[in-house]
Amino acid sequence: MRSFLPAVAEQLFRDIQRAYQESTQIPDDLLIALKFVFGSCALQALDLVDQRSVTCLSSPSGRQAFQVIGGSGRLYTCFLSCHYCPCPAFAYTVLRRNQGLLCKHILAVYLCQAMAVTQQESIPDQQMSAVLSGTGAP
Amino acid sequence: MLTTDKDDLPVIETDSDPDQSEEDADDDSGQQISDCGSDSADENTDICPPSSEHMKELEISGYVSDGDDIGGTLTSSKLDSEVFPLQTSEGTKRSVRDWLRSAQAMLQTPQKPFDRQSKTPEDSSKKKRKFKRGGLAERLNRLQCRQRSAISFWRHKSICDTSAATTAAVDRPGVLVLEVLEVHEECNMQLAHCEHRQPPGDGHQHRIAVSEETTRMLALFNRETAAQMMPKPRDVIRIYPPWQSLSIEGFSCPVILNTHFSQKVSSASKPDGSSLPKTWLSAERRGPYFLAQIFGLLDQNKAKGESSAKQVAALDVLSGFRTRHCLSLLEAIEGLGQAGFVDQDVDVVVQRVYSIPMAECSPVSFLKHRASLRSSPAPPPAEKGKTRLCALVQDGFGMFSVLQLQPLSSSDELHQYCQTWQGRTCVLRGIKVVQRVTRERHSRLFGLIDSLWPPATSLKDHGNSLSMLNESRAAGPPPSFCYLLSGQQSSVELAEGQTVSPLYRHPANQTLRDVLQSETKSGRCSFIATVLYKRMPSTDVGQREVWLVLTDSSLQEEQPERPCRPTVALCVSTSCVLTSSVLEALNSPAACDMSFTDAIREHGVLLCAEQSVIKVLSVQPGSSVETTARQDSLSQVKTLPQPPRLDSLSVETTPNSLCTLTGVIVGVDENTAYSWPACNLCGSDNLEVSAEKPQNFHCVSCKSMLDKPDTKVQLEVFLSSSSLSNCTLKVKLQQRTIMSILNTPTLESPELQGYDVESVLGKAVGPIAVYVRVVTRKPALWMGLEEICL
Repeated sequence: MRSFLPAVAEQLFRDIQRAYQESTQIPDDLLIALKFVFGSCALQALDLVDQRSVTCLSSPSGRQAFQVIGGSGRLYTCFLSCHYCPCPAFAYTVLRRNQGLLCKHILAVYLCQAMAVTQQESIPDQQMSAVLSGTGAP
Repeated sequence: MLTTDKDDLPVIETDSDPDQSEEDADDDSGQQISDCGSDSADENTDICPPSSEHMKELEISGYVSDGDDIGGTLTSSKLDSEVFPLQTSEGTKRSVRDWLRSAQAMLQTPQKPFDRQSKTPEDSSKKKRKFKRGGLAERLNRLQCRQRSAISFWRHKSICDTSAATTAAVDRPGVLVLEVLEVHEECNMQLAHCEHRQPPGDGHQHRIAVSEETTRMLALFNRETAAQMMPKPRDVIRIYPPWQSLSIEGFSCPVILNTHFSQKVSSASKPDGSSLPKTWLSAERRGPYFLAQIFGLLDQNKAKGESSAKQVAALDVLSGFRTRHCLSLLEAIEGLGQAGFVDQDVDVVVQRVYSIPMAECSPVSFLKHRASLRSSPAPPPAEKGKTRLCALVQDGFGMFSVLQLQPLSSSDELHQYCQTWQGRTCVLRGIKVVQRVTRERHSRLFGLIDSLWPPATSLKDHGNSLSMLNESRAAGPPPSFCYLLSGQQSSVELAEGQTVSPLYRHPANQTLRDVLQSETKSGRCSFIATVLYKRMPSTDVGQREVWLVLTDSSLQEEQPERPCRPTVALCVSTSCVLTSSVLEALNSPAACDMSFTDAIREHGVLLCAEQSVIKVLSVQPGSSVETTARQDSLSQVKTLPQPPRLDSLSVETTPNSLCTLTGVIVGVDENTAYSWPACNLCGSDNLEVSAEKPQNFHCVSCKSMLDKPDTKVQLEVFLSSSSLSNCTLKVKLQQRTIMSILNTPTLESPELQGYDVESVLGKAVGPIAVYVRVVTRKPALWMGLEEICL
């Protein structure tokens, strides 16, 4: 009972990374493929990438997390080790209905990583705990 | 009232695109709520329409700005400017509470330190998201709009002429005809495992896209294409361009994307009268994927030291869906970070197979060698050194590597490996990276790589596993670096399928004339030639180079327009391994045909060094040397003119060549002139004076008594030739010539007479065939020659 879409997604990210490393450009056909595989969240994720909305937070204790500034300005905290996003779209489309691989925030994280345009920020441990537990002020 | 309570209701994000086309039917039909969290433009639409409902706006703005809302900030700031005029004109209409709330909202909402496009009220009427100019989203939006109109146009066209559609345009290039084997659903897309069916008469065009081994494909259909087409097993579908093909590492089937222009040609089952899209549900739905299965990339922020550990951990996680099978040598190797074992299997094409001599450096063998020298002066065996099997491989991306494998027990095994592996696709397993070599330090290896460039077919592109149809990409410059890998016997495994890989560049044989007259003065060349003369070192063959004089029919035929010398010298250096059959052929006096693969042409000189392979093709009949069967070998020895045409000796003659010479004896080297007896029967020089009869001799080799042994003579003379003036030519003559000069058919008396130098001076010699041993030009031209017998 093997699923193939994750492998397709992973390959696309790898290609984007290489294309961007070689020419700081993503060719049109990769964009089209992104749209095909990820559907409607592709365009919104690209917009988030254009706005450089993804930050990687790291703390002295070694913990890391991604923060994405959504379209409304709200911050979503996503994790490195698994796919999770607190946004309602993830809960509904990915978890509940299994109709999407990712939400636009996680997709934006992957794209920013592939293009190496993730902002970096280091925060104190206390703030990191707050961010990770979801109680912190975003 | 805007129902955008983000906390309570399940708010679903919609596509912020203006035209909700069929593609966006991905979204559940149940939603009609626009997520105000996603789109401040929408908020603007909803919140500040250019209407006079300021009261409502105030309430809403107050509500919205409870959260951290940039849009709210903007909105509220705009509203503020509208509020005050309101106040002045209708101050009593608004409650102080409302005013306070909006003021509080402005004060509360934090300013975000990044700049975002300010949304003017005019934009809200367009209901369109303004993307960053020149950004990716804007580009995708443009592409998407174009694609959507193309899709709707195509759909419309295909509906209109459905009757003609079955036969039309199949022979148009780029149409994929697939037969569905199995369909399952994953995340709102239908994945169809298909078998590629070659459309009739189109096999040649699909050669590059689909090879014999990979007719399986995985086609992805998005929801609305699948709903329209309803693929089921045994259906035949046609996918029209532009479609995309993605090759995933570790996955043998290509994945077909962008399949919007698809059409079902024939259906396995009878169409229902009701034609309801019930079959959508019949596709097996795969469960959701494991969320901890990340798609790489996320751990790249860590420091280098940690990243290798993380990589190992990530590999464990990902090993579920990624078999450790790789198409790229570069990726497999550079994933290591240091020289070590490559844990991935890599698919490569074997371009060349050869062997290299292994240096004898172990102390044990050194002692053995010394011992043997002391005991008897027996000549060491011909193949003293061991040889190691090597292969030059290339992956699908064009990257080369030299693979050093196990030592060969006999050098003849090389030809077996060559036959089995060369040109085939193999899987490399358990190999270790030894070194990364660059062009500057290994110019000969890269000369070989250059001869294999540009590749025979189009290469894969690292940055772009997607290949649009009919895309031809220039191969670019040849690689400037290459890896040295080491492995064992089991490291190379032939992939299934007996066909020769399309990437293989067969060593094309040229004629010697083409080689000598070619424009490129250095590089690799392959040819078949007849060996006219061999100059073997008297001591161990493996330690000193061998000189050969070659010719072929192209050199032997005279072409007055482009004259070329009729023979050419080739040096076999010690780094070129000679198999036992080659050594045997070289040791026998008969002429033979040999094939030289990847010989080096350097500064106009031919030589065989590392990576060159020599094979014996055929010898003159009567010899006992084995031959290697080749389908295109006609024995050139028989077709060459007998005796072969040679250049006459001239001022430009280079050493190690063959020439003809005619001259007059002007001097004799008396120091080297002598004669000795030899056995009549076996020709051996090892004679002893017989004990019983001091007059007779006894041959030690064949143990016979000789009454009248043969006499062998050695004589070196100085010749003067009319074609060469001011040149000293010293020629070591052969027995027959010497006899004719001395005017005696045989030397009959057992005691040897002395001869007068004057008796030979002035005698004409030649034309004889000579081997030019040495040429010195200073202080004057002096040539040391040796008469040979062809």
